[in-house]
Amino acid sequence: MDKLYYRLRIYRSMVSINIKEVLAYNFWFWSQIGAHVLLTIAYISFWKALYSERDSIAGLDMQQTLTYIILARIVMPLVQWGYTQEFGYWIREGTISSELLRPVDFQERIYIGHLTRTFISLVQQLVVVGSLALFVFKISLPTDPLVWLSFLISLLLGCSILFCFDWIFGCIAFYSTEVWGLQVVRGSILLLFSGVLLPLTMLPTELQTIAKWLPFAQSVSVPVSILSGMTPLSNLGSIWLQQLAWLGVMFMLSRLMFNFSVRKITVQGG
Amino acid sequence: MPIIDVRNLGKTYRTIEKENGVKGAVKALFRPQYREKVAVHDLNFQIEAGEIVGYIGVNGAGKSTTIKMLTGILYPTTGSVSVLGHDPQRERVANARNIGVVFGQRSQLWWDLALIESLNLVANIYEVEPSRYKQLLSHFSEVLELDEILKTPIRSMSLGQKMRAELAATFIHEPKVVYLDEPTIGLDVMVKQRIREFIKDYNQTHNTTVMLTTHDLGDIEQLCSRVIIIDAGSKVYDGPLNAIKQQFGKFRTITFETNQPIASVNLPPACEQLNLSEFSLEVRFDRSQISASQVATAVMQQLDVADFTLNEPDLESIIKHLYQNPTAYNEVGTRG
Repeated sequence: MDKLYYRLRIYRSMVSINIKEVLAYNFWFWSQIGAHVLLTIAYISFWKALYSERDSIAGLDMQQTLTYIILARIVMPLVQWGYTQEFGYWIREGTISSELLRPVDFQERIYIGHLTRTFISLVQQLVVVGSLALFVFKISLPTDPLVWLSFLISLLLGCSILFCFDWIFGCIAFYSTEVWGLQVVRGSILLLFSGVLLPLTMLPTELQTIAKWLPFAQSVSVPVSILSGMTPLSNLGSIWLQQLAWLGVMFMLSRLMFNFSVRKITVQGG
Repeated sequence: MPIIDVRNLGKTYRTIEKENGVKGAVKALFRPQYREKVAVHDLNFQIEAGEIVGYIGVNGAGKSTTIKMLTGILYPTTGSVSVLGHDPQRERVANARNIGVVFGQRSQLWWDLALIESLNLVANIYEVEPSRYKQLLSHFSEVLELDEILKTPIRSMSLGQKMRAELAATFIHEPKVVYLDEPTIGLDVMVKQRIREFIKDYNQTHNTTVMLTTHDLGDIEQLCSRVIIIDAGSKVYDGPLNAIKQQFGKFRTITFETNQPIASVNLPPACEQLNLSEFSLEVRFDRSQISASQVATAVMQQLDVADFTLNEPDLESIIKHLYQNPTAYNEVGTRG
């Protein structure tokens, strides 16, 4: 009981410290919101222009596509950056030594921080992009709380899968000590195969197959398809099972990878 | 039982050697040439509870590498480390609970957060009892003068403030073993003094074991009764600070200033010429064999001396001498 109490206390303070860190930069916070507004407007105009010539693309009509795109925009910043950059920075600058010296499981600590930031980002996005969609572009978002709940569960699973992937990816920094290239590669793959840019059904079949075997779709395409109504709720069981399987495999791999590569550590300086 | 037990500890780094220029960089991409660098070699020492040990050596001697292996960040290539019975690498979390670490050149605190927020978080992570935390916080606030900076984010602190903040964060969970890697680097005399007093006081009241690396011999003189000297990755001296002082304390130096340029000078036995420039000569002599006045007389017979000063040896010059003449370690006797 005592142990649980302490654990919760640690989590609570980690959550609060991450919130404070995000809010420490007022300017950053507001300018991000500004950028989201602009990008959302650009996306919607782009897709409206595409649909002006035809009624459907890959079997989706304009309303369906727009709903999907808007929802993907809400999710996008949650997955866009990951923390490969941060991971590499810790290794380069040697800050990883302080991280490793804390008496808490390193991965657990970063995961809590990551979820907190993801959640803040989600709320921010829902308010900004959601109200744009509703009031400016008159795109209706789902109202069924059950759909939202299913979406959130699937999103949580998806973000956790991506977290483990990023963890494995970040471990490469132990060997390369260079992460900018890694980050760019991750960004481009993610853009195409996660379903952030366009619904995956619009991709050529070969690319769709690749997307299926990569973890990225789990974090964007899968939850967003639930929320946009493309995936019926009756499929939830198999979707969650699939996501759990992904998570199990990625989690094991991430633990193995970290335990293996941490031996490689060379803390710079001193 | 020793608190810290280091046996046959060694660390070899493998780095990629690149030839100069773009060609070299491309070559290294396809066929990397590795070079092995031995940072620490066959290190052995034991440290008992409550000791403050100075761990010294020139830059690149392997001090920080050793500390990193003791804390569990770095995996040793050979040998073993045990801290309070834990293997710091395999039992990192268990080990972390017992220890505190200050790296003088990097911060463990959250850059953007006020100090008090960081301290609260550290206390939570280390599961410090809230009432005990309150007690320690008010004590530290007093001795480290934290009141004025508790609400300041770390990024806007001065170097001295930052180090006081680091110390508070390191000691707030009452660690049994503390590693201090250059804790006074770049600090002014006042802050240095305060930090030394804090460490000394904490060691005496808590019987904390402290391992301290520093280039500031003032730290060593005021805090450590035992020193371990490491050179090129190997231990060259391990023993009481006094032994070094007594052995080398028998040497003194005299500096002569002359009116005429010095051509050459014949020194009496048991003297050694340290520095010679146009108008100045520095001589080191063994006071057990020859007196200062005998040296002065011998020199003044040969040179037109305007002024001279007699210098008592301080630890700094002793260590400098040791660093420059590795064979001199043998003179101390207790060679590790």
